[in-house]
Amino acid sequence: MDSTSRHRTSKKPTSPAAGEAAVAPLPMIDMRRIVKTFKNAAGEFTVLKGIDLQIGHGEFVSIVGKSGSGKSTLLNMITGIDHPTSGQVLVNGTDLYTSLDESGRSRWRGRNLGIVFQFFQLLPMLSLAENVMLPMDYVDLYDFDERPKRAMELLALVGLEKFAHKHPASVSTGQQQLAAIARALATNPPLLVADEPTGNLDSRSADTIIQLFDQLVAEGKTVVMVTHDPSLTERTTRNIIISDGELVSEAVACALPLLSHRQMLEVTRKAQRLTFPPGISILGRDQHVDQFYMIERGVVEIVLQGRDREDVIVTRMAAGEFFGEVELLRGGKSIAAVRAAPVGPVELLTLKRDEFKQLLDTSPLTGDALGRIVQTRLKEHRSLEPRGIRWWPFKK
Amino acid sequence: MRPRWRKVFLDLFENKLRTALVVFSIAVGVISIGVITGAYVIIANDMSASYSANHPMNVELRTEDFGSDLVTTVQGMRGVADAEGRRIFAMRVRMPGTVQWKTLDLVAIDDFKKVNINLLRPISGSIAPAKQEILLEKKALASLNLKPGEILELQLQDGTTRQLTVVGVVQDQTTGAGDFLSPPFAYIHTDTLEYLRQPNQFNRMFVTLSENQNNDEHLRAMAARIKDKIEKTDVGVGRSRVTKTNEHPMASTVQAILGILLALGVLILFLSSSLIANTLAALLNQHLRHIGVMKLVGGRRNQIFAMYITLIVAFGVIALLIAVPLGGQGAFGLAAFIADKLNFSLMGYRIVPLALVIQIVVGMAVPLLAGLLPVLNGSRITVLHAISGDIAEETAPPLAGGKKREAVVDRVLHRVTTGLARRGYHLPRPLLISLRNTFRRKGRLLLTLFTLTMGGAIFVAVFNVRVTLFDYIAAVGNYFKADVTVSFDRPYRLSEVQRDALRYPGVTAVEGWAFANAEVLFPDGTVADNMLILAPPVDSQLVEPTGLQGRWLLPGDEKVITISESILDKLPTLKAGDMLRMKVDGKEDDWRVAGIFKFVSQQGTIAYGSYDYFSRLTNLANRSVSFRIVGQAHDPASQQILSDGLDKYFRDLGYHVSETRTGKSTLATASESLDILVTFLLIMALLTASVGAMGLTGTMGMNVLERTREIGIMRAIGAVDAEIMRTVIVEGVVIGTISWFLGALLSFPFTYMLSTIVSLAVFNSPVEVHFTWLGYLIWLGVVLVLSALASVLPARNAARLTIREVLAYE
Repeated sequence: MDSTSRHRTSKKPTSPAAGEAAVAPLPMIDMRRIVKTFKNAAGEFTVLKGIDLQIGHGEFVSIVGKSGSGKSTLLNMITGIDHPTSGQVLVNGTDLYTSLDESGRSRWRGRNLGIVFQFFQLLPMLSLAENVMLPMDYVDLYDFDERPKRAMELLALVGLEKFAHKHPASVSTGQQQLAAIARALATNPPLLVADEPTGNLDSRSADTIIQLFDQLVAEGKTVVMVTHDPSLTERTTRNIIISDGELVSEAVACALPLLSHRQMLEVTRKAQRLTFPPGISILGRDQHVDQFYMIERGVVEIVLQGRDREDVIVTRMAAGEFFGEVELLRGGKSIAAVRAAPVGPVELLTLKRDEFKQLLDTSPLTGDALGRIVQTRLKEHRSLEPRGIRWWPFKK
Repeated sequence: MRPRWRKVFLDLFENKLRTALVVFSIAVGVISIGVITGAYVIIANDMSASYSANHPMNVELRTEDFGSDLVTTVQGMRGVADAEGRRIFAMRVRMPGTVQWKTLDLVAIDDFKKVNINLLRPISGSIAPAKQEILLEKKALASLNLKPGEILELQLQDGTTRQLTVVGVVQDQTTGAGDFLSPPFAYIHTDTLEYLRQPNQFNRMFVTLSENQNNDEHLRAMAARIKDKIEKTDVGVGRSRVTKTNEHPMASTVQAILGILLALGVLILFLSSSLIANTLAALLNQHLRHIGVMKLVGGRRNQIFAMYITLIVAFGVIALLIAVPLGGQGAFGLAAFIADKLNFSLMGYRIVPLALVIQIVVGMAVPLLAGLLPVLNGSRITVLHAISGDIAEETAPPLAGGKKREAVVDRVLHRVTTGLARRGYHLPRPLLISLRNTFRRKGRLLLTLFTLTMGGAIFVAVFNVRVTLFDYIAAVGNYFKADVTVSFDRPYRLSEVQRDALRYPGVTAVEGWAFANAEVLFPDGTVADNMLILAPPVDSQLVEPTGLQGRWLLPGDEKVITISESILDKLPTLKAGDMLRMKVDGKEDDWRVAGIFKFVSQQGTIAYGSYDYFSRLTNLANRSVSFRIVGQAHDPASQQILSDGLDKYFRDLGYHVSETRTGKSTLATASESLDILVTFLLIMALLTASVGAMGLTGTMGMNVLERTREIGIMRAIGAVDAEIMRTVIVEGVVIGTISWFLGALLSFPFTYMLSTIVSLAVFNSPVEVHFTWLGYLIWLGVVLVLSALASVLPARNAARLTIREVLAYE
């Protein structure tokens, strides 16, 4: 059994897949120190507070956050709809805010980005087919005579070929959203951005939409979706949480999913970041453990001594996983060594003992969940002991 | 202040552009109606008042030369209040150092201090010229730029020149009033006559009556008595004219024209009210959410109704504050312009109470009426509808089963385009958006089309009316086809003048005409009308009459005339073939009317007879004092050159030339007068077109405002600024084009209506309507440019919209 899958909290680790350290040369979306401040009569209000975010090609990413958290502003930065106050946004290699003007961004968007809105936003005066053809007209893509054919193909892809000449008001909301997706795909953009795409749909229509997104991701497209629906975040490959204008560390979100977004952000802020070069020891055997470790990036190896005192790697842990909670909750020293895997450096977020305890006090649910995990791990530990290998890196 | 009234107050200033649009929409109508009613009242009152204040003559008699004793005789007649003799004669004048001669009618008066009839109002300098001095009437300044102290050069009949010193400028509101074609006047003392080789005698008698000065019948009877009295002293009377004291001769014409302007003003009012209705409907639409929220927290329909009615009243008050002073100024400005053109003075700037009341009523009532329906609809709206949303569509009751109702025009448009699409013919989608957007707000579209169509129809009709009038004037020109008329002091043989004239380079034909003055008599023997009989050769090529009844002259016609239609004013039952009692050269006899022809009635009644008969009647067989000469070119400039050349040529040959005149000079004066009228109409047409353009701007602005979300979507899927602007502008141009078609259709009845009203006012008879492509083409260009321009501002606003609000996540 793969231990990483068992100990993930809510998400798979950040791409690349666990154990693989290959990094794409250029991410699809690269946001650097994005700050957005709005000014009004009441004064200034900073909505995004120095966001750094990279999303790779082919990822299926959900962005979640409460109302007012800044997720729409974040999405507006990705789509080139709004200007950051400072920082840089590169999408598919294009610097949106220094190399393009407003019109240039519109044209770029038409060619590189498909947007799917919560309320579909089909133009009511055009038929579904005409709505799909419109982006091709705007960015002058495909021959004029080829556009109707392509529109019909896209409508067929979403199962709407029979409704091609109907107006949006004449079809169901689910069909409108499917048509909106067909329109988003009209210019064959590599990136799809969807705002609550299933927010106004029944569960069956929502499922059709998500299957379609899965299919598109499988074909190599990148999909970024804002959603409130936990059943949808389960189906994305990466979940980004935004709270109060800041991104919650994905390691924190994976390790402690039962915290509120605000608590996650508090942990993200308090956690100390440690970086270990490949092969370097993180914890030695019999060392006193005084921190809670969350793996943010890279792979760590858990090492024990075998019967012949040789190093035996009992498991590897990747981003989103954690260690140190058994010792912090039950006391004792580490009996296994933890080291950075040779494939690459490891970045860890650590919480001190008292901060960890305080966190559990404010979130009893998290305390209960961690308690159950500790029980499970101890049980597994005991079952493996007769084989002469004490594989879990903590001992009583 | 209660919160809801505070909201009304804040709504006024919340969107300054929108408030400005509403206020402007109201103000346009109020200003127009204020200007026109104000001018109407001022002119109706001042024109005749200022005319009568100048002691206008009641009877004017053109006579042979007479002395002051005859004046005393007439003064002593019963019923005569006063009489004055003057000498009026035409002279060619110019500013020293210039080449071009102009014609002035010189009026010689023997005592300027005792002038009691046709008073002169001083404008600058002296009012009593001494010997060898001259006063200019202010109309003369248009062609002679002279100031008191400067010299005017005059040409005598033998070609020698004299110089007079200009000593003042005066206004004469009465002499020549009502005559479109009279040349400007100048005034000299009778002591100067000798210097100008004129006899020191009068040839014009002006008489005022002591009673019944405004009774037409009495005036005519007195004119006949005075004429008889004068003729009994062996002084021939050429023609007599009667005018009422308290009515300017042009009053009915001007009132008719003002009537047209008034009609156009009312039309502009209608157009502006449709503009107001549109703008207020849009405002209410934008306020739907506010209304929803107010209802949600307990606002009752009546309270909301009262709030928005108060808002409209506030708009009306602001518009009135702007429009009333402007309307007052405009009214006086328009009246002053017309007064200047028709040479009468106004009795000072004043507020016209009637115009003020109308402006206030219009400024309050029109917005209230226009806004009533939108406010009623707005206040009746349900909370659910108000706060739910999409305001870009007109709400129609759904069909059974909740399916959305589709309007006929949408259905047709949809079927046509999708039908084409199924057959493989695709229109570009941005064009489809423009086309279909055009018909989304049908009520608003109808109001916009109404304003633009009316503006266009009037614009085109004005061009047609212009052509109609000028064609009519050109037709009148067919009675004056000679390029130059040369008048001599004494008769010359036809063959002699023809021989000499044809030797002059460029002269192609010469005709000698005879003349006679005649009086048309009522059956009771009183004078119905004075008229001039022109007698060309019966085969004359220089008259191409437009016949109404009967025939033209034939060889051998004796005691036969054809007569102009204005005789029908006096003798409405007269027909071709009837006998007419006339007094010609002092002899009363019955004459046969061979035909009746069209002619400008302002010229008075004229008749044509045969040269052969009239030359014998006046003892001038084979001779004439007046010759019509035709050159090779017929434009005014060539005619002037020929006229000047012939003048010198004949004088050099020893002829006694009295006057040479170009054929087009009289027509040019008539055309100028018509141009003023047409300019007025055109200004009104442009005003209506401007209201239409403003309406379109408002409509496009409101459309854009309501389609913010859709424009955001277009931007989100790749539309650049130019695409967004094009979508909006094409929609505007589509509306403009539709209005052009409708306006072109509507221009036909408008042309007939306007032509009839104007021709009745100006010519006293309806004229044949003519059409010109020019108006249609110009209006097409204007409406396309206007509609594109009207859409540019909203389009720019649309292009500037960010799409942030489209992605309403939170």
